[in-house]
Amino acid sequence: MPPLINPITLFFASIFTSNILLTNFLGMCSFISISKDWKSSFGLGMAVTVVLTITAAVSWLVLRFVLVPFGMEYLSFIIFIIVIAAVVQILEMVIDRASPALYLSLGIFLPLITVNCAILGAILFMQIRSYNFIQAITFGAGSGLGWWLAIMLLAAIRERTEKNPVPAGLKGPGITMITIGFMAMAFIGFSGMIAVQ
Amino acid sequence: MKNTEAEKNALQRMKPGAITIQGFLGTDTRSLADIIEADAEEFRRLKLDPEEAADGLERLRDAGQAGLGEPITVEGRYIVSTGDARGVLPCPYGDGVFHKNSVTVDDEQSGVELIYSDLSLHLLRAHGFCQGQGSPFRLAPEALARLLG
Amino acid sequence: MNPIILGPLVTAGIAASLALLISLIDRVVNDYGEVSIDINGGKRMYKVRGGSALLGTLAAEGIFVPSACGGRGSCGACKVRVLSDVGPHLPTEIPYLTPQEIEQNVRLSCQIKLKKDIQLEMPEELFSVKKFKSTVTSMKDLTYDIKEVLFRLDEPKDIDFIAGQYVQIVVPPYGSVKESVQRAYSMSSRPLDKNHVELLVRLVPGGIATTFVHQQLKEGGKVELVGAFGDFRVRDTPAAMVCVAGGSGMAPFKSMFYDMRENNSFPEKEIWYFFGARTTKDMFYLDELRQLQKEWSRFHFIPALSEPKPEENWKGETGLITDVLEKYIKEKIGKDEGLEGYLCGSPGMINACINVMTRNGMEESKVYYDKFA
Repeated sequence: MPPLINPITLFFASIFTSNILLTNFLGMCSFISISKDWKSSFGLGMAVTVVLTITAAVSWLVLRFVLVPFGMEYLSFIIFIIVIAAVVQILEMVIDRASPALYLSLGIFLPLITVNCAILGAILFMQIRSYNFIQAITFGAGSGLGWWLAIMLLAAIRERTEKNPVPAGLKGPGITMITIGFMAMAFIGFSGMIAVQ
Repeated sequence: MKNTEAEKNALQRMKPGAITIQGFLGTDTRSLADIIEADAEEFRRLKLDPEEAADGLERLRDAGQAGLGEPITVEGRYIVSTGDARGVLPCPYGDGVFHKNSVTVDDEQSGVELIYSDLSLHLLRAHGFCQGQGSPFRLAPEALARLLG
Repeated sequence: MNPIILGPLVTAGIAASLALLISLIDRVVNDYGEVSIDINGGKRMYKVRGGSALLGTLAAEGIFVPSACGGRGSCGACKVRVLSDVGPHLPTEIPYLTPQEIEQNVRLSCQIKLKKDIQLEMPEELFSVKKFKSTVTSMKDLTYDIKEVLFRLDEPKDIDFIAGQYVQIVVPPYGSVKESVQRAYSMSSRPLDKNHVELLVRLVPGGIATTFVHQQLKEGGKVELVGAFGDFRVRDTPAAMVCVAGGSGMAPFKSMFYDMRENNSFPEKEIWYFFGARTTKDMFYLDELRQLQKEWSRFHFIPALSEPKPEENWKGETGLITDVLEKYIKEKIGKDEGLEGYLCGSPGMINACINVMTRNGMEESKVYYDKFA
């Protein structure tokens, strides 16, 4: 029985109160390494949003019309990964055609979206929480935008800390981890406002 | 692992046959980061600034060019010869191209003999990279200290 | 149905349909159709299939933009000016371009992908550049580190060039060298001998191409050459030529002198040729050039050694070539028709010679050089 949560509420909830990055800590590796640069962060965030929205929709259809009728939900992990890989492949071709500069700046991180745990994580949440189709899409888009928001915030903060006198030992990853900790604490402040479970 | 993609590319281009025939790593089996860190440590111990060392080598190169490819004596103690070839070499880190040349310095006072190029100077200056042990173009901090001391 | 069979079937079915979707999208997205290339405002027009890099597409049409790395974006040589919009400069291009070049939309042709109609501007001489299959017919050691290599052109059989121009050798992968590279060498052969190309190659420490020529290439070996490039050539004026070279910088001059003698071209021109070396070990073509001087009155050959050993019994000029040059400009060279400088060598040697020449009243705009840069 799908939970009776309004898709619009779900959309905003997945951006703020249960931000996939800052409350579930999924998709950290590219989050930390790409956030060095503001422009690439924007591009990657948008790519994650698009991949997440499309894969949520496709995975939902595959789950509902193939896996459930055959009684093969136990294959969902492997099937979802295949779906993600295919969508990323398609997105890669489209970006290469539309914006070679973005394609080059994303570099290896574009194919690595395939193994970005935020994406598989969000799709598995969608399955566990038995969302309907509309909910699945809004949740996917919301989680993606949440990821985009978090990486943009971190990129902006890192741009500031670059210019500030950080103790030598904390430069780079050290201060970034502390920053992420503060951001996570701030986002956890939203939790409980809307229940998405 | 993933965020050193640029470094991995640089490492590929440092292998023999990519940019130069012998490559930049010589027989060194350490990782790139270890080589750079060990040399940086050595520079600190010798109280030698890599930037100043590069300036010193550049000064010797400029003085040596007066010989027009033939060895000449500079500052009474160095025998410097410069050679030039047509074309440019790219930096393995991908930040610029450098005129193909080689400067051989033989210091009669300390007995140190070094060979370097404009690219070696850039690697030392911008990337703190003195090249791996066994590379003919290696600029070991210890040798630099004796040469310029 | 048995889940052991059903599971793989479903997985394979889903994977196959996604693969089908990918290849369908690939056909739509990566089909750039036919695009046109317009060079120098309609002088040359090509219709080609889009989708590949400009450098390779032009080469397939018979236009060889000079490139040393073979399209990997690491030499920065394959510059062309693009007049139509092909998007902003890529991060892989910027390190190789000067701010003025970026301003003029000069691009690396190996990095830009041909997606739509494009307008280019390039030197006309590139139109006559061809790729030649050739066979090495002779190799001689001129000094301990310079080899004279003669190539016979097999396909096409003839090269048209002007004395002073250069060709690129296509060095195939060998040993630890995994990818083909190209390197430029001035031709020392006479333009009239259209079937042959001769190069003087000095072994460079660590050099990929020179090591190949010195250690791998043997008589009978096959290599590809691309050429001819360059604008170093004899200017059509009555002014006397003051030529200075060292080492393999001999090559373009050898070609020029024998060409002028054979055709008796530019008959008013006096020729002064200064060639510097350290000892006789570094000197070559001494007998040939002295012979030429004897037979040809307007040619004056001045070899100079900077550090001759007593046992060498050297009777020519001694000292740095710049000092010898200065002495001759001041005392010996007739200046009635004016003087022109021709230099081939390292940037250091060229700068030093330009200093000597301008200091002695020669105009810098009349000093032409082929810098090893």
